[in-house]
Amino acid sequence: MTQQASSILMPRDTRPREQVAVFSIGQYSFVISAASIQEIRSTDSLGGTVVELDRPVLRKVRHTVERDGRSYYVVSGYEHFHLPLCRPTTVLILRHAPVAVLVDRIEEMAEMRVLLSLPHSFRGEECIWYRGLTVLNRKVLPVANSQGFLTAEELQQLEMKNPPLLHTVAAPGKDRGRG
Amino acid sequence: METSSLVPSFVVFHVGTRRVALSRDCVAELIASPLLFSFPHTTPLITGVVLRRGRIVPVLDLGPGLLGVPSPAARFFLVVERHISNNSERCAIPVQGECELVAGIMFPATGQEEFVSGHLDLNEDQIDVLDLEKAIAAGANYRREPIMAGNLS
Repeated sequence: MTQQASSILMPRDTRPREQVAVFSIGQYSFVISAASIQEIRSTDSLGGTVVELDRPVLRKVRHTVERDGRSYYVVSGYEHFHLPLCRPTTVLILRHAPVAVLVDRIEEMAEMRVLLSLPHSFRGEECIWYRGLTVLNRKVLPVANSQGFLTAEELQQLEMKNPPLLHTVAAPGKDRGRG
Repeated sequence: METSSLVPSFVVFHVGTRRVALSRDCVAELIASPLLFSFPHTTPLITGVVLRRGRIVPVLDLGPGLLGVPSPAARFFLVVERHISNNSERCAIPVQGECELVAGIMFPATGQEEFVSGHLDLNEDQIDVLDLEKAIAAGANYRREPIMAGNLS
């Protein structure tokens, strides 16, 4: 796992490296740990396994998807990051959270060498959304926190309003690892 | 010690059309506009980040707090030191036109704006001296883009 560093790039970086996927939503690119992704699918291939929520309590979650006997809440990346809506084509099914994230596309797999903490001036939702920032191909990119797509509070809200899912969706906090 | 060294220094600059000053003590450097990286976030005034000597430096536009609108594109950024809780952090402020370093006496503020801590008399112009944190707080309710509600209930 890439260790959190201060906001200063080290000249000789001997810290462990982390495999990451770079994905895009709208005009923005994001990084996410490859270890936090269970599966990457096209939205077309999900088909009949998608179920509409009876009571959508969050704008960003309207469906669940079932994969290998487990259910995942489908989180719209656009809604999550407050971006203008578009038609996503790819879904990232996460490993350590009952979450499948709709994104535009995977841009590349890469190696992250440094994880810089988010500057203290940031104090909004991004403090939950991101583990920090990294530099890839001379670009500063945010590193998505896989646990940040649905907070424990949001999961609880969803499960309370949609009780049958309690049996199929992994409990929050259980089997949670790095983001 | 010379008398002149006791006179405080200020950096005078433009935010949009408004000419203001900051104490020299909180200004680190003036840099030509570097490549700005932006990503989704919900913190008011931050327009992105720049890489400066290996550091991630957030860019804060004072325009909304001072003028009620975002500043126009800037050729230069003033890098300032902020003190947030127990941490200090460098931020970049987009500035228009040229900056000046002047020595002068700050007179008490007479206006209503809370973020003005005093003023300088400079060539018959009255230049407001900003309290940086209050100037940032003044624009805190401004959002560059509308944020959609995340909750339906």
